[in-house]
Amino acid sequence: MQYFKKMKGTAKSPPYVGISEIFWSWIGAFIGIGAVAYLEYNMLTTQTDLVMIIGSFGASAVLIYGAVRSPLAQPRNFIGGHIISALIGVSAYKLLNGHMWLASSVGVATAIAAMHATKTLHPPGGATALIAVTGSEQIHNLGYFYAIIPVGAGALIMLIVALLVNNIPKTRRYPEFWF
Amino acid sequence: MSIEIDTCPLEISDQDILEAMKSIPGYLDITTQDFKEVYILAYRQALERIKHSVRAGDIMTRSVISVKPDTPLEEVAEILSKNGISGVPVTDLEERILGMISEKDFLINMGVKKTGSFMTIIAQCLQNKGCLALPIRRQKAENIMTSPVVTVTEDTSAYEISSILTEKNINRVPVVNRENKLAGIITRTDIVKSSCSIGY
Repeated sequence: MQYFKKMKGTAKSPPYVGISEIFWSWIGAFIGIGAVAYLEYNMLTTQTDLVMIIGSFGASAVLIYGAVRSPLAQPRNFIGGHIISALIGVSAYKLLNGHMWLASSVGVATAIAAMHATKTLHPPGGATALIAVTGSEQIHNLGYFYAIIPVGAGALIMLIVALLVNNIPKTRRYPEFWF
Repeated sequence: MSIEIDTCPLEISDQDILEAMKSIPGYLDITTQDFKEVYILAYRQALERIKHSVRAGDIMTRSVISVKPDTPLEEVAEILSKNGISGVPVTDLEERILGMISEKDFLINMGVKKTGSFMTIIAQCLQNKGCLALPIRRQKAENIMTSPVVTVTEDTSAYEISSILTEKNINRVPVVNRENKLAGIITRTDIVKSSCSIGY
């Protein structure tokens, strides 16, 4: 019975945030994603076949602009989680691309384990690992370079925006810690 | 939901936590239950730390007024009243501790057997039964002192001392060094001042 009882939940949901929190979350995400997407669509594609933006950045934006105090949103987790997961995702694809279901599951599961082991847990890292496996030919052709561009470079740009924007309002500060 | 930690009841409601969370701007990535668990564990940890961090040497009074075994009781009483204290250690010439004399020892030796309460004296005086101090008039410190005494060292934690004071129902305990010589004294007041009486 204890097993099913646990499914009821015990805690109350956290309170609503204020209007200024909503406003600054929007501003941060707009500028952060805007910067990376602008590079992708207005600069890179015309000259190179480099990718700049990946889906997992949308998830990161929720954390680093929407939940800036969360341990999951701190630079160590944000940058470390993305890069480690990218390396693991690429490895999983290289080793297991004959069995895509296995490459996907091993990639994501190992990325979570590695982020835990390195104290860099960042939920979008799971998506970064998965994209390395399920992504387009263009992503696959990048090999381990995927961890540098788009993952490392994109995350770095978003981090700089987070530092600049999140410290403007009096009620916000970022980061809580670096390492 | 109330959780007992030692003897301090610790009640923190979900509402308390929600109110606190509301007063912090920004989205806190934590549930009330998580907070409660962290709070209780941290509280316990702090209690443990405080229990062992403050030691006798930190809170004791170092310049102790003491008497010798052959000090006449009238002199002992005068020392107590002049200094506004209610007890002194009795030491030999080498400052080794022999016993303790407190108001309670006076009262008990004056025939106030049961409670050792000063009010018994008042009551008897008001009933015109004469001065109750007469039976101990020519006596000396060694005749009425409590001996042997419970002692602690400078390393004894304030927490342990507060439990000794409670268990033995005493108000002060002498602190001795390695050679069993008097180094200081700790009263209940010292413990309260150090705010380490948590749990007692």
